[in-house]
Amino acid sequence: MDAPRTPFAGARFVDPVVLARIGNLELVARSVVDGFINGLHRAPYFGASVDFAEHRGYVPGDDIRRIDWRVFARTDRFYVKEYEADSNSNFSVLLDMSASMNFGSRGITKFEYARILAGCLTHLVHRQRDRVGLVAFDTGIVEHVPPSAKHMEVVLHVLDRLKPTKAGSLREPLRRLAEHFGRRGVVVIISDLYDDPDVVAEAIAPLRFRGNDVIVFHVLDPAEVEFTFADASSFEDAESGVQIPVVPDALRAEYRSLVQAHIDALTRRFSETRVDYMFLDTSKPIDFALFGYLTTRARMLRTRQ
Amino acid sequence: MSFLSPLFLAALAGLAIPVLIHLIQREKKRVVVFPSLMFLQRIPYQSIRRRHIHNWLLLCVRLAVLLLIVLAFARPFLERSERVAASSGSREVVVLLDRSYSMGYQDRWAAAQAAAREAIEGLDSSDRASVVLFGTAADVAVRSSGDRGRLLAAVDAARPTASATRYAPAMKVASTILAESGLPRLEAVLISDFQRAGWQGSEALQLPAAATITPVPVGGLPGGAANAAVTGVSLDRSTFSSQERVTLTAVVASFSPEPMTVPVALDVEGRTIQTETVTLPPGERVSVSFAPVTLTGRNTRATISLAPDGLDHDNRLHVAISPLELLRVLVLDRGGRGDASLYLRRALDIGERPRFEATVRPPDAVPEDLLSRAAVVVVNDVEVDAGLAGRLQRFVEQGGGLFVAAGARTSWPGSSGGWLPASLAGPVDRRNAASRLAGVEYGHRLFEVFRGPRSGDFSVARFFGYRAATAAADARVLARFDAGSPALVERSVGRGRVLLWTSSLDLEWNDLPLKPVFLPFVHGAVTHLAAYAVPSAWLTVGQVLDPAAAAPALAAETATVLSPSGVRVPVEDGEVFELAEQGFYEIRDARGGGDVVLVAGNVDTAESDLTPLDPQDIAAAATADPSSARAFAQSAPISPEAQEGSQRFWWYLLCLAVLLLGADTLLSNRLSRAHNG
Repeated sequence: MDAPRTPFAGARFVDPVVLARIGNLELVARSVVDGFINGLHRAPYFGASVDFAEHRGYVPGDDIRRIDWRVFARTDRFYVKEYEADSNSNFSVLLDMSASMNFGSRGITKFEYARILAGCLTHLVHRQRDRVGLVAFDTGIVEHVPPSAKHMEVVLHVLDRLKPTKAGSLREPLRRLAEHFGRRGVVVIISDLYDDPDVVAEAIAPLRFRGNDVIVFHVLDPAEVEFTFADASSFEDAESGVQIPVVPDALRAEYRSLVQAHIDALTRRFSETRVDYMFLDTSKPIDFALFGYLTTRARMLRTRQ
Repeated sequence: MSFLSPLFLAALAGLAIPVLIHLIQREKKRVVVFPSLMFLQRIPYQSIRRRHIHNWLLLCVRLAVLLLIVLAFARPFLERSERVAASSGSREVVVLLDRSYSMGYQDRWAAAQAAAREAIEGLDSSDRASVVLFGTAADVAVRSSGDRGRLLAAVDAARPTASATRYAPAMKVASTILAESGLPRLEAVLISDFQRAGWQGSEALQLPAAATITPVPVGGLPGGAANAAVTGVSLDRSTFSSQERVTLTAVVASFSPEPMTVPVALDVEGRTIQTETVTLPPGERVSVSFAPVTLTGRNTRATISLAPDGLDHDNRLHVAISPLELLRVLVLDRGGRGDASLYLRRALDIGERPRFEATVRPPDAVPEDLLSRAAVVVVNDVEVDAGLAGRLQRFVEQGGGLFVAAGARTSWPGSSGGWLPASLAGPVDRRNAASRLAGVEYGHRLFEVFRGPRSGDFSVARFFGYRAATAAADARVLARFDAGSPALVERSVGRGRVLLWTSSLDLEWNDLPLKPVFLPFVHGAVTHLAAYAVPSAWLTVGQVLDPAAAAPALAAETATVLSPSGVRVPVEDGEVFELAEQGFYEIRDARGGGDVVLVAGNVDTAESDLTPLDPQDIAAAATADPSSARAFAQSAPISPEAQEGSQRFWWYLLCLAVLLLGADTLLSNRLSRAHNG
């Protein structure tokens, strides 16, 4: 499979900071994904191809255009070719656009990173002929692009103009979305998950109960993880505006352990509810995330078989 | 080491300010917007507040600056050994015991005596004390004595009087006693109910510099003091069927925070005539008028009284009422042609207060009894022979008043006219160009009623003739004509006065009798010559009574004053007598005969207002600087140089603080540069 050549063939390794400077999201997504797929030729997970699945015997009512005439020539029996691609699924990105996502300590905010990631995933999936959709939420649903094979451009366009400004929560928007997703599909949630792990898991569980495959990308800035601040300052909550005086040196270790405990708790809770969870910090190249996605998909397929 | 102003040490709490600035302000200047404080808020708050202090040196310098400034303001001083020794020296204590009548309110007097006894019993064997009892005036009961028994006896014997509170005389006496003392420690103990009325802020209460004063307030809280008082009475006289009637209108004041309903009774000669019940709003005054009382004779005793309350003295107000005296005027008129005294008699007929009784006689027929009963003699343009001149001179020297109206016919025997205010010359004819009065002495009592603007204009009167006159050296010219010649001249002769009017009192030489100023002018001249004063219905305790003025009718050289409590006090001629009791004083002839003059004495109702002042105000006024006075009280007087030397530490502390402030500035700049660099 030859991928079209692009000026950004190696974009998947590019620092997300650099990618964020490229205004055209479609260009970024295409560059990253195409380069990524090119690289995957040598990857052991390519079995996740969506093309041919199996032959089965012709039954009246099948479209005669789907009869494999080569097999008929060899065996004199009618067989119909079946493709994995035929079972196109819905792919929806649920993007957290709460104000806390608008934080970045190294040139790229979590939201910009999440937007590029959403664009890349959408592009990747669209190449597989899946229907792509997008939901942006904070405390409610801000943007909703229903999954469709024709909505690739719309999704990228909407992604491009989102701006996080308000406080956010997971519970209410996800509850409403769970009612909305009638058809099984793949749901990717990109958020910083600033909530109690139990609350997060409870909010996401309804999606899982509907038979969707749920993948959660937990995006944090390195500064949020490592807490590398030096000077004592007043820290203001980006969403509530509450300020507290903080001396970072005095509580760095305690903070780190709390964040790690949060991640561990999320990992544990998601594994219990069979939700795929992946932690990302914004210093990691995008292909790290794409790789994680595809690994997950491969595992899903294996499980299904 | 002690402090003159230890209260300033409270400012040491300000040391927390630099610490807080170092801990808080440095962090507040930077705000970091963080996605979520979810984890930070879970970390216990104490661990967040426990911060590093970045610049210990800077903090220490600033704390030291503050500490030094506070210590400098607290005025540290060293107690020297000699002063330590003196602080245990003997004391001179003056116990000032208030015995004004407000101390009789409820149990104040017992509390005051107990406080005085406590002060006396606290004396050491080497101490000396004085007991000063004060009201309006201060009396030294015991002066600088170490005999505790005498002191206690003086306190026990003291009783509240009818006088009001005045702190100034008491403090003056205390100051004198303390200043004369040779003992090292000087103390005054002021025991009083501290009524506000007792001290006008302008009165000096200063004690010697080394003395200290301890105010001991007695009595309850001021808000609860309920008191009503009769603060005054006015007498409205009228004449009915040739008898004089007096309507008494009493003023009743409330000094209570609550409304009061009190009966007000009028007693005349011991019998209750009328009782009215009035409701007094809090803090206000109400007038009560009684039915007119007909005066049957002199010296009628009337008393306005209220129902008894906590303070009894001010519930009664005594009034001694007598019919108004007639002012007898003997007019010597030539008679015959015309009626030269017509205008004068008409003017004197109108007088109400006082009423005048004018008797006109020719100069050659003046009976001796008529002359002796007259208060004023008017010589109205007549020739005076030597005999009459001598009688008139004696009359004036014994206290009578003489008004000489010098017209065209007036002549005085040359040998006996030397005591007149001026020597008369010939008439001055101004029929062609009328003269007018100028240079009137409006400051004189005679012209007092004309002093105000639009109160009478003498310049409207025209004078067509007058007698030229030359005023005697010791005479006073009260008015002049516009040409400069004296118009009215006054001279004191013996106990009496003479007025010389150099024009006529009829229309012969002037038209003054037709002018509005004539009537008050005549009344003023006669009352001035008679030394008439509206008799006061009562005096206030503490005022001075002059028996000679109150009872001029008493012929005796020595009068006896009978006080309300029955004590007889002989008063020599020229002496005065201070009223100390409330009630009716009788002034009698020492020989027992003659008239009796009644004088009513009442308490000063300023004392009825029990509102106290802050005792510390008195203490502050008595000692220029209360804190320093208290410090000095511990020590003997020392020389100003030594005193200054021992208190000079604040100066060094302040200098050190300024130096440290400079160092702080340098240090801050260096740190700031290092930080920015």
